[in-house]
Amino acid sequence: MLKNYFKIAIAVLRRRKFFTFISLFGISFTLTILLVLTAFIDKVVGDNYPDRKRDRSLYINRLEQKGKDMSMSGALSYYFLSHYAGSMKTPVKMTIFSGFGGTNTYVNNKKIAVDYKYTDANYWDILEYDFLEGKAFTKQQVDNAEKVAVISEDIKKAYFGDVASVVGKFIEADNVKYRVIGVVKDIPITSYMTYSQIYLPYTVSKTDYKDKGYGGGYSAILLANSSADVQKMHDEYEQLVKRIPITTKGISVMYSHANSYLASYVDTGREDQSGVILVITVLGTFVFLFMLLPTLNLVNINITRIMERSSEIGVRKAFGASSKTLVYQFIVENIILTLLGGIIGIVLAFIAIQILNNANLIPNLVLSVNLMVLFIGLIICLVFGLISGVYPAWRMSKLNVVTALKAQ
Amino acid sequence: MFKHLFKLIWNKKKQNFLLMSEILISFLVIFAVFTLMAYYYNNYKKPMGLDYENVWVVNYNNAYATKSTDSLNTYYETLRQTLKAMPQVSELSFCSDNVPFSQNTWQGGMTVKGKKIDHINEFAVEDSYDKTLNLKIIEGRWFNKGDAVAKNKPIVINDELKEEIFGNEPAVGKLIGDDADKNKMRVIGVIQGVKIKGDYLPSGYGQYQRADTGSFHGFGKIMIKVTPDADAAFEGHLYKTLANYMKNSDIEIEHLTNKRTSTNYFSVVPIIVLSIVSCFLIINVALGLFGVLWYNINKRRGEIGLRRAIGATGKSVSGQLVSESMLVATLSLIVGTFFAVQFPLLNVFNLQAGIYITAIILSIIFIYLLVLVCSLYPGKQAAAIYPAVALHEE
Repeated sequence: MLKNYFKIAIAVLRRRKFFTFISLFGISFTLTILLVLTAFIDKVVGDNYPDRKRDRSLYINRLEQKGKDMSMSGALSYYFLSHYAGSMKTPVKMTIFSGFGGTNTYVNNKKIAVDYKYTDANYWDILEYDFLEGKAFTKQQVDNAEKVAVISEDIKKAYFGDVASVVGKFIEADNVKYRVIGVVKDIPITSYMTYSQIYLPYTVSKTDYKDKGYGGGYSAILLANSSADVQKMHDEYEQLVKRIPITTKGISVMYSHANSYLASYVDTGREDQSGVILVITVLGTFVFLFMLLPTLNLVNINITRIMERSSEIGVRKAFGASSKTLVYQFIVENIILTLLGGIIGIVLAFIAIQILNNANLIPNLVLSVNLMVLFIGLIICLVFGLISGVYPAWRMSKLNVVTALKAQ
Repeated sequence: MFKHLFKLIWNKKKQNFLLMSEILISFLVIFAVFTLMAYYYNNYKKPMGLDYENVWVVNYNNAYATKSTDSLNTYYETLRQTLKAMPQVSELSFCSDNVPFSQNTWQGGMTVKGKKIDHINEFAVEDSYDKTLNLKIIEGRWFNKGDAVAKNKPIVINDELKEEIFGNEPAVGKLIGDDADKNKMRVIGVIQGVKIKGDYLPSGYGQYQRADTGSFHGFGKIMIKVTPDADAAFEGHLYKTLANYMKNSDIEIEHLTNKRTSTNYFSVVPIIVLSIVSCFLIINVALGLFGVLWYNINKRRGEIGLRRAIGATGKSVSGQLVSESMLVATLSLIVGTFFAVQFPLLNVFNLQAGIYITAIILSIIFIYLLVLVCSLYPGKQAAAIYPAVALHEE
């Protein structure tokens, strides 16, 4: 039966080539845009290089202090994280690292803008960077405040040029010479928690990391023994924050959370406004509005196409086909059409992604059509097919046999 | 004639309803895009309000550890003298973090004559600030040393804030500040608004206060105007000088020209993406409209043939079909305009009414053109129907 419908569908598609073209154009284009969008989201929040242990990690990157007339929100101080978060029992490991800051360095009268970040030694255990050469700094080196640096591939090329190995060479940044001990694979700036071009031990930081204020420039990742412990770790931190004494005048309440990667990625910096809900609303509205027009268009065209076949419907009805069978047939036909459009859409998305990658809008952000994205595309396709197929099919099924035949 | 056309449309209301809702949504999408474009264009044609070429921004963190204001002032005054002694430096000014084209903003608000004014950008500036950026003074003057002893704190505002508070009246010499505040500030000058967020965004309200003795505690940027011959070698030299002087600070030198480019990039990229997406949406809709109209005409061959047979010219047949679709478009445009007009009426997003009205007019013209183009060919085809052939088929 299905095979029969398939044959009919292909025959119908070939009969009215112009309409087929319009439908395919609408479906494939819409799908292309959605696929590129999902590929982008997937890359930005789904790519887990270098933090491959996300399922058992929690991220602390914000402290909001609120009083009657004032509020402050931002990253935390090294003191706060090491002293309070460091006293927690559940995490097996914790790393504290700064956000990235910018500075310049000058080589042969050429300016290079570099981003740098301070980390501790645990950073390299929790986050699994791909080392192209050399290795990370150790706890010993951090404690001794040795001027060592792990640099990214980009900055290696920009600073040293095309050389085989740079380990042991010196890089000057911010007027200080650091000995390069490792080179890691690049990370796009969209992974802002782990992105940097030069990684330095926090002990060489020029700003005082011993400051006892709560606000500062540092974040932390807590690693649990297993993913089952994550909830426990989350609760422990919640309890802990409640007990921390407030030292700033005018502040009455403090908020800080150990969140999953996604929740901390989209954090708005305000307790009363959840980033996750905001992002979902904005994205959902966009996708809905964006899909509404092509869907309406498809419904319009499908009605036209189906009405054109009223004589066929009349004959089939006259010979005893029930409305249900006919609706079923038309929906199947429509899904075949949508899937066809889907295949074209995937090809187009692939081309669009290649173009975007070559344009290099965001350095090191390489989009790819992965299985997840393909799967989402397929689902979207089917939903699309169903939506634009149901209404015309329903309209058609109400067609009276006599009217349908008379149209002949 | 119109009554007749209405009847024709009404008879096929179900089919036309879908067509109309499609036109309606296209109208709303186009309206959104045109509003954004009109807004950007409106801002773009306003003057920049500053010279950004050859101005460099030095970021430092205030790491000189002292609680004493005097020694802090001496520390930075020495740096100022060192920098000014360089031949390539023509002017410099220490300032708060919210330099032009940066992500940082400091905003406050005040209630004037019972009216609350929010989002006033506040800048702490030095006497050399206007020369460094070459600000255009419209009224009054910029700060000078004499302002240190003024009874009321002197203040310079930009033209947008002046217009909001004083309208067309002159502002210089007047006192402003929160209604409840007894220590009001005296306006000594009005400058042209500086588009601090790039070419495509408005300058917003601006209020400039003179840096006082303790200001170095809060500063983190130096703006340096250099001569046109300042090159990378000089920049390296400047960098070394700064880094050697401020040993405990991270130094970064940025150029305002680059900062402007990247700020503009963030405004322009979304509108490019939006335009491309809506372009394809419109092509999609246009093809759909075209297809549906074309099909309708084919289905009405009998009717058209009959009309031709009783003497209608080809022109009047195609004219009827085109005006039918235009009428359908008009109906949905009326509904669409009803929604769109709510934006200026309710003052959504705080945009000027003129921007919305321009956008509404442009979108209406656009939709009419779109429908016209899509119905011309089917109309022409209808005009070519021979009555004999059409009636024979029937």
